[in-house]
Amino acid sequence: MNKSQFRSPLYPYLLLLPQLSIVVIFFYWPAAEAIRSSFYLEDPFGFSSTFVGFDNFEDMVSRSDYVASARFTIIFSVLVTFFSLAAALLLAVTADRVIKGASTYKTLLMWVYAIAPPVAGLIGIMLFDNLVGPIAEFFRSFGWDFKLGVNRFDTAFAMITVSIWKQIPVNFIFFLSGLQGIPKSVQEAAAIDCASSTRRFWTITFPLLAPTGFFLLIINITYSLFDTFGVIDVVLKGEPGNNPVTLVYKVFLDGFRGGDLGGSSAQSVILMVLVLILTVFQFRLIERRVHYN
Amino acid sequence: MSIRNYIVGAMATAMSVTTALPALAQTEITWWHAMGGQLGETVNEIAEKFNASQSDYKITPVFKGTYEETMTAGIAAFRGGEQPNVIQVFDAGAATLIGAKGAVIPAQTLMKDNGVPFDINDYISGVRYFYADTDGTMIGMPFNSSTPIMYYNEDALKKAGVTPPKTWEEFQSVTAPKLKAAGYVPLSQSHLPWIFTENFYSRHNLEFATMDNGYESGTPVMLLNQDPIKGHFAAVKEWLDNDLFAWYGTGWTDNQKPFNEGQVAMWLGSSGSFGGVKSAAKFPFNATYLPYWESLTKDPTQTFIGGAALFAMAGHSEDENKAVAEFFRFLTSPEVQYFWHKETGYVPITTAAYDLAKKDGYYKETPQAEVGIKQLSLPGGDWTKGYRLGFYVQIRDVMNREYGKIFAGEKTVDEAFETIEIESNKLLERFARSMGN
Amino acid sequence: MLVPVLMAFLTSSHDSATVHSGGLQMTLGDDLAKNYYNAMLVPGGFTKSVDGMRMLMNSFILGIGFAVGKIIISMLAAYAIVYFRFRFATFAFWLIFTTLLLPLEVRILPSYEIVQGLGLLNTYTGLIVPLIASATGTFFFRQFYKSVPNELIEAARIDGAGPVKFFIDILVPLSKTMIAAIFIIMFVFGWNQYLWPTIMTTDERFFTMVRGISQIMQVFIGSQIPEYGEAMALAIIAMLPPVAIVVFFQRWFVKGLVESDK
Repeated sequence: MNKSQFRSPLYPYLLLLPQLSIVVIFFYWPAAEAIRSSFYLEDPFGFSSTFVGFDNFEDMVSRSDYVASARFTIIFSVLVTFFSLAAALLLAVTADRVIKGASTYKTLLMWVYAIAPPVAGLIGIMLFDNLVGPIAEFFRSFGWDFKLGVNRFDTAFAMITVSIWKQIPVNFIFFLSGLQGIPKSVQEAAAIDCASSTRRFWTITFPLLAPTGFFLLIINITYSLFDTFGVIDVVLKGEPGNNPVTLVYKVFLDGFRGGDLGGSSAQSVILMVLVLILTVFQFRLIERRVHYN
Repeated sequence: MSIRNYIVGAMATAMSVTTALPALAQTEITWWHAMGGQLGETVNEIAEKFNASQSDYKITPVFKGTYEETMTAGIAAFRGGEQPNVIQVFDAGAATLIGAKGAVIPAQTLMKDNGVPFDINDYISGVRYFYADTDGTMIGMPFNSSTPIMYYNEDALKKAGVTPPKTWEEFQSVTAPKLKAAGYVPLSQSHLPWIFTENFYSRHNLEFATMDNGYESGTPVMLLNQDPIKGHFAAVKEWLDNDLFAWYGTGWTDNQKPFNEGQVAMWLGSSGSFGGVKSAAKFPFNATYLPYWESLTKDPTQTFIGGAALFAMAGHSEDENKAVAEFFRFLTSPEVQYFWHKETGYVPITTAAYDLAKKDGYYKETPQAEVGIKQLSLPGGDWTKGYRLGFYVQIRDVMNREYGKIFAGEKTVDEAFETIEIESNKLLERFARSMGN
Repeated sequence: MLVPVLMAFLTSSHDSATVHSGGLQMTLGDDLAKNYYNAMLVPGGFTKSVDGMRMLMNSFILGIGFAVGKIIISMLAAYAIVYFRFRFATFAFWLIFTTLLLPLEVRILPSYEIVQGLGLLNTYTGLIVPLIASATGTFFFRQFYKSVPNELIEAARIDGAGPVKFFIDILVPLSKTMIAAIFIIMFVFGWNQYLWPTIMTTDERFFTMVRGISQIMQVFIGSQIPEYGEAMALAIIAMLPPVAIVVFFQRWFVKGLVESDK
């Protein structure tokens, strides 16, 4: 576990300087501003600003839909994270084995990732369109009267599917690069030791893939929490109505769309604290099981 | 922060002095808007026409995304001292901009101070006071204005042997059952808060919120948990259950499309939707006024406008403000208004422009395009000039959510309106506090 | 997975009214050339200074600048965190790592003020640098460095190699696959940015592909039919550079590279 390390009075700081300065200027400074504003009630233009203590937090959490949307956020994140990781791992393992035609396969997969988000969302809602969408028609032939935007479950289904679809290629690339990093000698040795490829995967490949896997787990959780709001926005066509929304989308609705700076900052502070706790937890619990070399 | 702003400001001034020195002293102004697609091209054309019409001023329009993105960009820019001269802000966001005292210069004041004649009575009555303050001073210049009207498929109505209903009573007892029997979905609509709530209030001349529908400063209270609107939604829910009405979700086009496709016989949409319906519908269609409940009123009144207005942002030099005033003069001229009206389907905002359109014979070929203006020119009442409510975007979200619950059968009408009342008043209170009231 | 992409391509060959009423198309239409010509070569906007080519270039600058900047910065930072023993290592890691937890949308107003204060509005620097302030890359390289066998650094030490030589001669070549992976991901991420460029550039010459697409798509109250065909054409073209990047880095993914270094 312990890494051999260099000792130098200067190098580490020099190496960290570019990243840290960008992070401080373009992340911590604005973030501090956001945290400050969670304790104030102010008009967006900044003419009037009153310190209100924890009022914003109280106002936001006490709204009738907050708990429901927190619950949905958990379900949404778990599903998106799990399925996009599982599907990508499956695809990557297949691609790693297939030698012939593998490059075409990889390139084609990347096309999905390369679709611009507004178009990806648009393709998504056209596929799920109640009137002319092939997927909606497909479901209807099974007797599932699919109604995007009207039925909560159906809307959630579309949101989750499109989010997974968009994320698979990212995970695929990282898993593949992780797999490619496993030395051939190790795999050959494993092939001799153990005949079943499934067992070989779980006992040899999977543990070696763990560092990448851990990285992807964290990245995917943050993706499903924070970066899916574009997809959600397109699926909802900008009007949430009686459909489920994630907490980040609520932050967007209230702050960006509704101009309630204090309220949305309070919501994001709550979110940030929760995710931070979750992440520390993951580092403590899961990373311990990850063997790096 | 302030020192930095000062230095940047000083540098900017120094630079503008040097650039302003050359003989051709053209004042440049910017206009941020949210008009995509064809509308955006029409906006560009108007700007080009203005620039070509004189040589003292030059306006540059910039597309800044959706209404919300445009507004957020404007807010960010204002805080950084980089705000545009003119910004387009949508109806539900207007209170935020107007409430922040010092963010905008009232259009009326700006024009008067710069020698551009202004008479509020030149404007169509339904448009006049929507973006005005308590005293009736126009703050935002109505730009893309439209109002909800009822489109109908003429073939469908002929087949069912009915005429477009004037009242909801007629709709539910005669029109809808016959249309249903003829194989059509009788009705859909595209914006529950705008059409079935706000304009329900104005069509029946009902008080929407205290403090003069929110125009007076203070903390207004929404008058939503009331029998008339509850009765309306109880009826709508019944229509929905009996297939006399269909609801396809909160997306605007989701509800418009089935009409375009000929499945829905009548659709409540915007007068500005005319162009879209025209290019998509393969059947003869026409439009008429929004129906009303005879049980509530014998004299239905005019409706509210929706859409967006142009606001002159504060913090610019006198020269630039003068340029904005001149631009507003140009924009409100009958020819430009008629051009905008014809190209986009939005209503012309002045009577002179309306007259020009009539004189030109525009409505002879397209009578549908006149319905909105005629409805906005109907007699008004105490509560028909508009509303001014803070955090209104969120209030509309609450309405949409609760109406969805009514339609899904998750809540009764009473329960839903109780929630709407509580949450919207809480939002109004928050807004008043955030504005320092 | 791929069917939607194919459908998008086929749809880009139809006129907008067909797409509007019929949704995604399964056949090849007649407007293929027209849509692509309009999308790429007809200058749009008020200043007429922006056409598809210009937007393509801007997206390219954004994508490359973002990916290269991010990779360099995060490789250096991760190197410091994993390979050096120093006092604030854990603290520095968490300082960087926390940036994953607050999306740009939430801090967009203050970010704008800072960029404005630095005089970076309407510049490529202002467009790119604030986006780099996130930990994905650093975290990824940290994971990779940690799994690099210890023997390598020991061997390097015996050879008398210092930290710089070790980094350049051993670690960078070893990271090739990782660099390729993260370059692809980051390039596309930068390529597809929408909100930040929209908020902070007012000059049409800085418009990107994604912004062009949403401008075409944006229609209120059903007042018109958006030019779906043109938007889809732009979207298909917008996909090509990322794919080209994948093809380019393909050979870095070839198995065996790692072995030869071992």
